[in-house]
Amino acid sequence: MTGTSSAGRNTIELQGVSKAYPIGKSHVTIFDNLTMTIEDGDFLAIMGPSGSGKSTILNLIGGIDTIDAGTVSVGGTALNRMSPAALTRWRAAHVGFVFQFYNLMPMLSAAENVELPLLLTGLSRAERRKRIATILDIVGLSDRADHLPSELSGGQQQRVGIARAVASDPQILLCDEPTGDLDRKSADEILTLLQLLNSQLGKTILMVTHDESATRYAKRTLFLDKGRFVPDEVRQCA
Amino acid sequence: MRLSSSMLVRQNLTRKLGRSILLVICIGIAFFVFGVLSSFRAGFEGSEARSERLVVVSKIGGNETLPLRYLETLQGTEGVASVTHITRLRAHVAGNERNIIGANAIDPESYAKVYADTYVFDPAMMRALADNRTGALVGRQLAARENWAVGDRITLTSFVHTNQKGTNDWSFEVVGILEGTEPTVDTNFLVVRYDYFNAAVVRGQDRVGLFGLKPAPGTDLDALSARIDAGFANSAAQTRTQNEVAFMSAFLQQFADVALIVNLIVSVAFATILLIVANTMIFAIRERTLEIGVLKVLGFSGGTIMRVVLTETLVLFGAGLALGFALTAAAIPVLGDALRSVVPDLYMTPRVIGTSLLLAIVFALLTGFLPALKALRLPIAAALNHR
Repeated sequence: MTGTSSAGRNTIELQGVSKAYPIGKSHVTIFDNLTMTIEDGDFLAIMGPSGSGKSTILNLIGGIDTIDAGTVSVGGTALNRMSPAALTRWRAAHVGFVFQFYNLMPMLSAAENVELPLLLTGLSRAERRKRIATILDIVGLSDRADHLPSELSGGQQQRVGIARAVASDPQILLCDEPTGDLDRKSADEILTLLQLLNSQLGKTILMVTHDESATRYAKRTLFLDKGRFVPDEVRQCA
Repeated sequence: MRLSSSMLVRQNLTRKLGRSILLVICIGIAFFVFGVLSSFRAGFEGSEARSERLVVVSKIGGNETLPLRYLETLQGTEGVASVTHITRLRAHVAGNERNIIGANAIDPESYAKVYADTYVFDPAMMRALADNRTGALVGRQLAARENWAVGDRITLTSFVHTNQKGTNDWSFEVVGILEGTEPTVDTNFLVVRYDYFNAAVVRGQDRVGLFGLKPAPGTDLDALSARIDAGFANSAAQTRTQNEVAFMSAFLQQFADVALIVNLIVSVAFATILLIVANTMIFAIRERTLEIGVLKVLGFSGGTIMRVVLTETLVLFGAGLALGFALTAAAIPVLGDALRSVVPDLYMTPRVIGTSLLLAIVFALLTGFLPALKALRLPIAAALNHR
């Protein structure tokens, strides 16, 4: 769980990215020539109205959606030139996802949910068990390892979600409204945890949120509207 | 990856346990129907019938006889290694018309040559039969069923054959117990000496029911059959030569087309199951669209997820097959008693078990393929938006 890497090694760059979705017989443009850079170790919050393309940015950086034009690269590697199989392997090694509705496997325990990405790492069973114990300890759920998601509160489920996202020690965490389904107290706990992962372990975090107060935990915030960042609203945090 | 598959398969099968159990029951019933009907068919047709042996019968029908003198002609036919003849006594145990016995008059020496790979002809037993004109070799299963032992004198009453004493009662002494070369061979019958029968019978002397024929290795069976039938084409008793399996099939079709009935019922049962399971699996995959998306996000490949879905259907069919086997094993002894007069020896043949296994694998892959393909092709972004 070191996760810290030298600056620039995992810099995320979007160059001239265009993306449109077919809706019925027409196409709706999400981005047109979007360019942005996210440095290694950054904690970036992205805000904006619904439909502005916030989640699409996460999907493009995570390699789960394709672009129509431009380049998406991480540490100099162009994701849009990778084969689907290579992209799957890259994602497993470099990216952790945190979802608004946790998206845990309902019939697997907290520990088994955390174990899922570890099954792709080649670690032995004993090594996986050790890693799971460490991660659940970090997120404060050591005593809930055998609980099913339905037996956990929303905040606890999101902690499991974060534990699953960092289990294989990826450098990049993509969080899609991680506090959107939580009360204030739980939301603050989750945001504190994300901040900890960024400051202590050096994870690069991109967080899409509608929660204004969530931006206090990020190093900087970008505002997105109709597929473009609004320059006046860009501000440095902390 | 094995552990991940097993974790996910367990999750998917237990999330709606009631549905999984119903599917297993559904599949189990289909294999139960298949197991019982196929066993019935195998028992009815005689599972030890060999396609490499030939049977020569009257062209007119199974109840007609052929002249014994054809034996010499058949022996001299090119491609024939050995030949024997069999004549049915059409008898029941004296005093009980419902207890019909499979009893055949044979020539022991040639019979042993033709059927050497099906029955064990112990030399001492064959000597005992040669030394006793009224001797009978009783199959192991029949001996157990009727509680007969070597030395017992038994009396059979023929429905058609009257002897010189003016009665249809035929008395024999059990001189040996006939074993099959394999435990699955049907030994629910007895054989007696044709020379004794032929000397004692009033009508139909020097006539036999059929000829059993073992071709020489490498012989073209179709050509040999055609040659034999052509040789008797201009005689008073024309012949029909076919392999044993075809003969048994044709023989039984006199009563009912069991194969057709069995195939129809089994096909309907399996087609229904196929639709139910495939439909349920497609719905199950649709329910899991979001989870499949999440797994792909975590780095699980489409191929791995496809294997999970296929494994699920294999587990369902495996459990259903086990249930089907258990039900069949429980039902067959009960049915065997009730159907003894029709199928004297009802049991699950290795072929039925093998076919069931094969069907389970094929149907699991068939029903799982479409949902698995759907899971494989599911775009991640679309899956994550699925609620």
